[in-house]
Amino acid sequence: MKKFDLELAVGLFIIMGILCLGYLSIKLGKMEILGNRGYELEAVFADSGGLKVGSSVMIAGVEVGRVKEIALDDYQAKVVLNIREGLKIQEDAIASIKTKGLIGEKYVEITPGGAEETIQPGGRIRDTQSAVDFEELISNYVFGKL
Amino acid sequence: MIYGFLRRGVFTLLILLAAGSVCPAGEPTELIRKATDRVIAILNDPSLKGPDKTEEKVRKIREAVDKRFAWEEISKRTLARYWKERTPAERAEFIKLFGKLLERTYLDKVKEGYSGEKVLYVDEKVEGRYGRVRVMIVTKQNTEIPVEYRMLKKGDNWLIYDISIEGVSLVNNYRKQFSHILSRSSYSELLERLRAKVEGTETID
Repeated sequence: MKKFDLELAVGLFIIMGILCLGYLSIKLGKMEILGNRGYELEAVFADSGGLKVGSSVMIAGVEVGRVKEIALDDYQAKVVLNIREGLKIQEDAIASIKTKGLIGEKYVEITPGGAEETIQPGGRIRDTQSAVDFEELISNYVFGKL
Repeated sequence: MIYGFLRRGVFTLLILLAAGSVCPAGEPTELIRKATDRVIAILNDPSLKGPDKTEEKVRKIREAVDKRFAWEEISKRTLARYWKERTPAERAEFIKLFGKLLERTYLDKVKEGYSGEKVLYVDEKVEGRYGRVRVMIVTKQNTEIPVEYRMLKKGDNWLIYDISIEGVSLVNNYRKQFSHILSRSSYSELLERLRAKVEGTETID
């Protein structure tokens, strides 16, 4: 009888451990199991500058979504963003690709607009600004820029 | 059946794409081209050379450019969500002031004269009431500067609501600066600063 209790305790302990591990890997890997809440918006950039699936989408430095998909479309980067449920993005919002710090990771920043109309789920953020290419900026500086 | 359907669809798409690339010079491009040629003509005009004619030259360029710009739309987009809080009179004042600021910022650079930059019209995209014209400016030193005009159809006319130079949007630039100022201080403070820039002798960079 006593032996059985011990085995049960060990079993429960291990199950708990596995559950914790599962929770941690989902949290740390930023996966979502029960589908993505929120809605999707699309933005086309001339240069995504190495943006990755899972990169943050921010407004005023606050994370409001994530990059869900990046694909090549007509030699431009078509980025699908997953935006937090209930957050409205105006028709004249501008999406730009930014770098955290000088050489940090890339993220998408949305500067909200002032239009009355908002972009419907599945719609597109029309105005975008690509990643700034430091190499290009330096070469412009070196070879003279007008 | 489905395959045939798909193939036909792809075929039509290809024809459309081909047609698009054969004649990229649609209406928006034509309008940009006209305005650009007009500005270059003013800059090249020998009767407007000399420092005493600068004012007249700037006025003429402003006139030529004004027709192409949706000033209200640009102002609205730069003030973004703060636009709604303004009264019509305040809006009118802002449009005027912001136009002046842009004039000062950009025409200062232009009025020295035209130094042989070439303008190449790369392509044009029209989607509903939105259009964009991509242009490449080639300087004498052969530096290429990509410029994108974002345009909005108003009635029969195409007007510019944003310009992106080297991938940096004008509206986004000012929108961020203004919202920064407005979140820390007041609208009157922003006007004050705009006025100082417009009237002051300091140049804006």
